[in-house]
Amino acid sequence: MPCAPASWPVSPELSVAPLAPLVSERLCGDLQQPISALTWSANGEFLAIASAGGELLLLDFLAGCEELLRGDRDSSLDVVGFSSDGQLLMAAGQDGELLLWELGDTGVRPLAMDPIPLGGGWIDAAAWQPGGLLLAVAAGRELRLWDGAARQWREPSLPLPGTIQALAWSADGVQLAASCHGELVLWQPCLSTPVDPPLRNPIASAGLTLAFSGPGHHLACGMLDRSLLVWPQGCHGQPWQFSGFPAKVRQLAWSEQPGRLAPLLASAAAEAVILWTQVKQGPKAWQPEPLLWHEKRVNALAFAPGSTLLASASSDGSVALWDGKGRMLQPLEGQGCGFNALAWRPDGRHLAAGDANGRWWLWPVAVPAREQQSQRAGAGFRAQL
Amino acid sequence: MAFSSPVPAAERLPVTVLTGYLGAGKTTLLNRILTHEHGLKVAVIVNEFGEVGIDNQLVVDADEEIFEMNNGCICCTVRGDLIRIIGNLMKRRDRFDHLVIETTGLADPAPVIQTFFVDEDLRDELRLDAVVTLVDLKHVEQHWEAEEVQEQLAFADVLVLNKADLVSDADRAAIERRVRAINPVARLITSENADVPMQELLGVEAFELERALSLDPGFLVDEHAHEHDDAVGSVALVEKRPMDLEKLGCWLSDLVAERGPDLFRIKGIIQLQAEARRYLFQSVHMLLDGDFDRAWKPGERRRTELVIIGRDLDADALRAGFLACVA
Repeated sequence: MPCAPASWPVSPELSVAPLAPLVSERLCGDLQQPISALTWSANGEFLAIASAGGELLLLDFLAGCEELLRGDRDSSLDVVGFSSDGQLLMAAGQDGELLLWELGDTGVRPLAMDPIPLGGGWIDAAAWQPGGLLLAVAAGRELRLWDGAARQWREPSLPLPGTIQALAWSADGVQLAASCHGELVLWQPCLSTPVDPPLRNPIASAGLTLAFSGPGHHLACGMLDRSLLVWPQGCHGQPWQFSGFPAKVRQLAWSEQPGRLAPLLASAAAEAVILWTQVKQGPKAWQPEPLLWHEKRVNALAFAPGSTLLASASSDGSVALWDGKGRMLQPLEGQGCGFNALAWRPDGRHLAAGDANGRWWLWPVAVPAREQQSQRAGAGFRAQL
Repeated sequence: MAFSSPVPAAERLPVTVLTGYLGAGKTTLLNRILTHEHGLKVAVIVNEFGEVGIDNQLVVDADEEIFEMNNGCICCTVRGDLIRIIGNLMKRRDRFDHLVIETTGLADPAPVIQTFFVDEDLRDELRLDAVVTLVDLKHVEQHWEAEEVQEQLAFADVLVLNKADLVSDADRAAIERRVRAINPVARLITSENADVPMQELLGVEAFELERALSLDPGFLVDEHAHEHDDAVGSVALVEKRPMDLEKLGCWLSDLVAERGPDLFRIKGIIQLQAEARRYLFQSVHMLLDGDFDRAWKPGERRRTELVIIGRDLDADALRAGFLACVA
């Protein structure tokens, strides 16, 4: 299938007329190997795409050019991320090394730093601190912090009793959560006065995925034992436990739009996506809305920034767009192979996806007004383009 | 819990699990697998990093991290590191045709095996081809009492009796008898320096029901319980009268529910009342799998053959339970 000509979306599209399809045109391109991860810089100027063959492609939308930072080398990259100030790009994977690039202005070739071996085996979880320069890396059973300002590791690292399966920062960059089999740890590594030791919560199984809600600081943890844990605001007290999922809960996403009690939470287990709404306090507080459409495993979930518009990507070869009530708005078809990864541009108007044949896709999306956030102070972050 | 996948076997990636006590020759065999011109691209997951002397990008290091799925019962343990690493590896499936997993010499093979049947992703994307256990003919008697040695023998589909050049024929035969007492159904291969024909190791399909019992069609000469001193042993049950599937199913389900942790493998061909087809059955701890197979052939000796490999087996009680299932 031929790709649309490369007309890079430098500025957000004009809003389209009501009833028009959300998605009208697209861009795409190909890597050699299945796409494993993709991510946008905070200003939406750069999109980094990693593959299971170790390729790393950087798209520069302002300059309208692309740079292959690493070629196919038969060793997977599985996690990629931009620092919040947009100055550093991180990638890691099968080699167990942390790869870093210094990014200059748009149009300037990024400068590769020396790879940092970590000796903890395959790295598939790492995340930059929102609003800061700390990079949290899951190196086997050690949660390590690399300080992007000092360009060195910050000591001490935090040991966990098992291999770290997932990690996540709270939106304010204060709380860092990591999970392994049997434990979920909450850490506040940036507080200058160490008030509390890391809070270690025992969990019954392995926490496979973690997600903090925006300002509310709920924490959700998808579990191997087909359950989902949600800690209330501030992560204090006992979590709600949702069970009865058809499979392990592998993907989670919170909407940035505040809800009455909590933002919308989306979970994916096998082919089933469930939208969760908190309707009251106390037990049985959450109401599930199953979004049943995908025919195979759902591999990625993402709410559009500041919106209740949800995108889900599946091995069935489709990406689906849903509204905040769980209604399907539009399915996006690829080239028949499964989709592995999704990432919304911070402007909320472009959705990037990567598939199992190595093709990346970029769709312009006109988010319906009813899914957009009402104007209010301090709500979500928006890219300034 | 059934352990078959809805995805056809041919679409799933074959996996060989390589076990064996310390010094049995696993690394030598791995290097042979990686360098042999068998036409397969093999990915290997090793546990003692650096031991494999082959510069191969598809050698991946893993630590043996056991996940207890349910109350710490051995039947519900899986290898968490395998779920994570194979999940990552499967994105690059076009780069290899076969996966070999080496366990450390002190590992119980059960969690590895169970991982491939319990985990939803692995179950649908991979199929366990065979458990291959290397036996050090020269030293195995010294470690015979080690629990790991007996478990590795008990779970094997293929037993490689290695270092045959270092022992006399009489010693080899004695060990063979001891090994057979624990595991009468595995295929036995004798080797020197882990030099084993690749077709005996890869593509064995021992966990496919129709192949599970075809390794050695005459494996049961007669009904017998091996007399020996070891805690781990086997009981073979044979019956000419047809069985009742419902009764047999209840008995086996109750048996694994009650004794699951002590029951390593069960394999059987069942002759059913008023049924032209053979019924095949196998289990790993508490995981059960059974299905109808081809019709009995004319002139074929119709009978039920069931082999139970486990710890502290009460042969009389097992036989009584088995005979109660006669239709």
